[in-house]
Amino acid sequence: MTLFDRVFSGNDAVYGLTETAIDNAIAQYGADQAVAFPHTAYSLPCYYAVTGTKVSNLGELKEALGVVKTLMTREKRLNDAFMSGVATALCAEFIEVLKYINNEAPYEEPCSGHLMDATIRELGVPLVTGDIPGVAVVLGSAPTKEEAVELVKSYQAQGILVTLVGGVIDQCLEAGLNMGAAVRIIPLGRDVTSVIHVVSVALRAALIFGNITPGDAGNLMKYTFERVPAFVNAFAPLDDVIVACGAGAIALGFPVVTNETENIFRVPKSLIVQEDVSKFNATSLEARDIKIKITKIDIPVSFASAFEGEIIRKGDMQVEFDGSRKDCFELVCTKELTEVEDHKFTLIGPDFDEMEVGSKQQIAYIVDVAGKSMQSDFEPVFERKFHSYVNCIEGVMHTGQRDMIRIRVSKNTYEAGFRAKDLAEVLYANIKNEFDAVVDKCAVTIVTDADECTKLRHELAVPAYDRRDERLTSLTDESVPVYYSCIMCQAFSPSHVCVVTPERLGLCGAVSWLDAKATNELDPQGPCQVITKERVIDENLGRYEDVDEAVAKFSRGALEHVTLYSIMEDPMTSCGCFECICGIEPFSNGVAITNREYTGMTPLGMTFGELASMTGGGVQTPGFMGHGKHFIASKKFMKAEGGVERIVWMPKDLKDQVAERLNKTAKELYDIDNFTDMIGDETIATDPETLLEFLTEKGHPALGLEPMM
Amino acid sequence: MGDFKLTTVEEFEAATNRLLETGAKVGADAWQIRVKNQTPHCKFGEQGICCRICSMGPCRITPKAPRGICGCDAHGIVGRNYLKFTAGGAATHSDHGREICHTLYHAAADGAYKVKDPDKLIRIAKEWGVETEGKDIYDLAHEIAEMALLEYGKPFGYQRWLKRAPQHTQDLWEKAEIAPRAIDREVACSLHMTHMGCSSKPEALVRQSLRAGLCDGWGGSMCGTEFSDVLFGTPKPIDTEANLGVMNAENVNIVVHGHDPSLSEMVCEYADDPEMIAYAKSVGAKGITVSGVCCTSNEVAMRRGIPMAGNFLQQENVVLTGACEAIVVDVQCIFPALGPLSKCFHTKFITTSPVAQMPDSDYIRFDVGTAAEKAKQIVKMAIDNFQNRKPELVYIPDMKQKATVGYSVEAIVKTLDGVTNSQVDELGTTKPLIECITSGVIRGAVAMVGCNNPKIRPDYAHIELMKKLLANDIIVVASGCSAQAAAKAGLMDKSAKDLCGAGLKRVCELADIPPVLHMGSCVDISRMMILVSELAKDSGLNISQLPVVGCAPEWMSEKAVSIGNYVVSTGIDTFLGVDPYVSGSDQMGYWLTEGVRDWVEAAYTVETDIEKLVDKMIDRIEEKRAAIGI
Repeated sequence: MTLFDRVFSGNDAVYGLTETAIDNAIAQYGADQAVAFPHTAYSLPCYYAVTGTKVSNLGELKEALGVVKTLMTREKRLNDAFMSGVATALCAEFIEVLKYINNEAPYEEPCSGHLMDATIRELGVPLVTGDIPGVAVVLGSAPTKEEAVELVKSYQAQGILVTLVGGVIDQCLEAGLNMGAAVRIIPLGRDVTSVIHVVSVALRAALIFGNITPGDAGNLMKYTFERVPAFVNAFAPLDDVIVACGAGAIALGFPVVTNETENIFRVPKSLIVQEDVSKFNATSLEARDIKIKITKIDIPVSFASAFEGEIIRKGDMQVEFDGSRKDCFELVCTKELTEVEDHKFTLIGPDFDEMEVGSKQQIAYIVDVAGKSMQSDFEPVFERKFHSYVNCIEGVMHTGQRDMIRIRVSKNTYEAGFRAKDLAEVLYANIKNEFDAVVDKCAVTIVTDADECTKLRHELAVPAYDRRDERLTSLTDESVPVYYSCIMCQAFSPSHVCVVTPERLGLCGAVSWLDAKATNELDPQGPCQVITKERVIDENLGRYEDVDEAVAKFSRGALEHVTLYSIMEDPMTSCGCFECICGIEPFSNGVAITNREYTGMTPLGMTFGELASMTGGGVQTPGFMGHGKHFIASKKFMKAEGGVERIVWMPKDLKDQVAERLNKTAKELYDIDNFTDMIGDETIATDPETLLEFLTEKGHPALGLEPMM
Repeated sequence: MGDFKLTTVEEFEAATNRLLETGAKVGADAWQIRVKNQTPHCKFGEQGICCRICSMGPCRITPKAPRGICGCDAHGIVGRNYLKFTAGGAATHSDHGREICHTLYHAAADGAYKVKDPDKLIRIAKEWGVETEGKDIYDLAHEIAEMALLEYGKPFGYQRWLKRAPQHTQDLWEKAEIAPRAIDREVACSLHMTHMGCSSKPEALVRQSLRAGLCDGWGGSMCGTEFSDVLFGTPKPIDTEANLGVMNAENVNIVVHGHDPSLSEMVCEYADDPEMIAYAKSVGAKGITVSGVCCTSNEVAMRRGIPMAGNFLQQENVVLTGACEAIVVDVQCIFPALGPLSKCFHTKFITTSPVAQMPDSDYIRFDVGTAAEKAKQIVKMAIDNFQNRKPELVYIPDMKQKATVGYSVEAIVKTLDGVTNSQVDELGTTKPLIECITSGVIRGAVAMVGCNNPKIRPDYAHIELMKKLLANDIIVVASGCSAQAAAKAGLMDKSAKDLCGAGLKRVCELADIPPVLHMGSCVDISRMMILVSELAKDSGLNISQLPVVGCAPEWMSEKAVSIGNYVVSTGIDTFLGVDPYVSGSDQMGYWLTEGVRDWVEAAYTVETDIEKLVDKMIDRIEEKRAAIGI
């Protein structure tokens, strides 16, 4: 059988199964029965992306199957094989969605099944920065469970997001592998059709970040081919159905690596036979042109971004450093070149092996840096990276910042030999690696002595933080001479440009003005470029000729005008990976804000996912704006429309997170005390009428403002 | 996709018509007019049944007079004409190759001609069993050049290059007694066989035609290609442009035309000389633009990125632009019409080779010893002529396309290395291409070659055939004037991937290639023979089993027939859009389209309906696929 014959045969088989399944479902539930995946604005995501048509009930699903049939042409050309592969994937999506009839959670731990929109938006930034350098789809059963685990862990160690389908899941379970989104290993499901849930992520990424028009299958496939660094590892035996699924993957640009040698054809960079499973990793990365940023650090455990979300439970903990109970801090200090001896490590106090198992301890690490181009403004930029550096150590968990840190070291990691000098090595190596353009010398001091920690915290760290905070408050949009562009996201969202100002950080929440400045300094040709602010057009709107020119240039003409402070007039675009989105709430003249983590309903009648789908991809949508959490308390938050007093609703968790700063801003701007108490949340109202009653009762200032529309 | 758009044949024709208006103003003649004057053509000639090889005739065959005076029938006459035609082509290509060998023989470290690719020279030396260790590269060059020259007249044995073919192919040649001996011998033997009173048996005449073709493709042409690479560098992918719009109205325009790169390389060298550029500026030009026509253009485009002004039937157009200071020619395919035409303009028509001397030209005899000074003299002459331009006659059609050219076999293998996976694949093979073909991603390959011929709407067949092949996931390798047609249309722009089927498009994207690969001049069809040989060896299949065919839809020259014979003899089915003057003999028709298959596993298909021609090729490719179960 030729390769195409196998694809066609597998496609026919899956089509037959799907037809039967849909017919049975209709017989059981009726054609009006609703079908949907939870927490997505694009249901059914794959079918919608490919055809531009949404499916909401079984009757429509049956019609959709008719459309799928038209893709199943049988000429002996790759296009026919590709389309049959796509058709197979769509059939898989149909079969999967049937599982969700009257059941929001048909999948049980550890399998995830469908992944919600918010998850994809969260993946945006790490995919762009290369923190997640790729997405592996591992399918079938490895020859042995040891090989399965070894392969999965090899990807994890590189930060690659691993999705699992089929037998490999149980192989990993049996081997006791810790799995879950937090450690970037996501078992999708045991049926081969569950592979669609990762395909769905890729296709939604194209809609969310790439602003691909649903139904524009050509550009959809171009987007995934050029921009989604996914690949498939399919274990032997490959039946025709898997070969057909593989054709769909290859159509999207995802190479398939397999150890199948029977009745298989090889296609360069697309279908690669690698008999040695231990070489799947290297073969796959080369096939998809994925480059792993190597931070080779000489420590006894792994260091990889995949461990960033790892949780260390109390029982597994060797020692804990807890800033809420003990004096702890982390600090970067700029020194003269002569004052720093490069790669010097000093330990003041006992090492980890002298600490009682399970005890709470104090720790401080001071990183002295020196370099001709170093500026003290970069100190907080480096410092904020410590969270990620320390977290990426296998078996080490880090939360918080400054003097409110908490660090746990697991027993396994301790037993592997991890000590204070290794922590210092991680900080040293990462600073030198990432900031080599400005840091010539770096030395790390770790303090575990209780008295010394207390003394240094009060005499060295706290005054330094205070100085910085003062500097930060003085950093306003007015006080700085230039802004910065940020186009880091253009790898995914080709026409989006962020304008980063001190009071308006990048909408992903990850790039502050100082970050952008440092990025520009480190790589002058890189993603952050200086934008002058000399030719103001309208100060209130934040409209500048310079900004417009920069936006036009960096979006390559896709955008012509952007205002910094308005959500109604030429609002700033978003890539899709924003933390929050705000939208007009017409009954109250205000805006409601919702965040990625909140999956519930808002008074706008839409969830985060649905709201987010209205914007993103570098498109301007007046009345809607994606932004970072930090921006909510900014004095520049929709300043043109009156500022933060327009905020009428937020999810409770978000409100709690921003309350302190937001209240401070409201006090300063409008002399309102405890402003957040006037803002609704889901415990008060998720419909506009109840919300209005609440706002009226509280005397919310937005009610007295001019209508925005 | 951007702004990419193919240039259509209609647009070519509109530009040509506009230029012919200029021609009409100055009373110029043109091939379009001469075609009319020559139509209808002599029927006897067309069918190949006119014999004038002795002075008893001329004889021509009719139903009433089925035999010539000597008694030869139509089959013998057609066969002899066919063999003579082949011998003419083989002699021409091979003599070009011989010139290159002579140039190599005179290459010197401090001379005008140097060895630019010593690695290739050493590879060839090893292939020929010559010791290379510790040898000065020029000593080696002279030794190899002499050995190559001896291939033309060696008293015993077969062509050295034959060893490059798969063993199966060599066995077929030996069995059919068509393995070529000395190059000159095969040409001479052909002329001997066609002398009055020698062969009149179609089978024998066809057999010798194949042999004479093989002495060209696997002999003289291969010398031409391989030693041109040694001298001027082995082509690798390079960006250039094609069509008349590459000429620049503000510059001194020098057009090189012909086939032998020895001359054009030197002209390009001196046109780049700062002294010459300064001199051009001193006469009011902004610079010097060298562009090319025909295969000498292909040679310098492949190695230097020199733009291609046009192909065979566009040679008069370059003069009609009124902006051509000099058209410098070497050998082959040069219209004698250029002489009188150049007199209608300020253009200098400069002939350089004793082999191609023409009336109404400035003859500057070019040879290895004086190459540098002659090239300089030519460039200077062109610059001096800039002031004689008549501005009112200047019109350059604003029409050109981008092209990525330079796909020698070496470059193709290197490109294929780029899509291998170092964890599973070996480098330096054609296996990635074989995998694309066996998996069905690419259905097959077509070698598009040959000239233009007024009998076919110029370039139309080349371009339309290629478009349909690409849409059917069939990759095209092209050479000669066919390659230039593709480049002019835009088919060598990497953006042309969007015209391909999904399979070929994906291959173009992954390998970063245009869908039509420019493999060089007509002599460089020898490169295609090496490529299919490598494909056969790497796949374990015979050449004739590969889903690969050759096609010359608009061919016109004797060289083309010689090429066709060696391509068929190598095991590649060959499709012609113009009948090679054999329609007067059903026996000759049988031998060429069927009989030879028993010897070499391939044969000709002649189909003058272009639509049917391409469908037949696609069908043949699919038949070959089915036969090996892919």
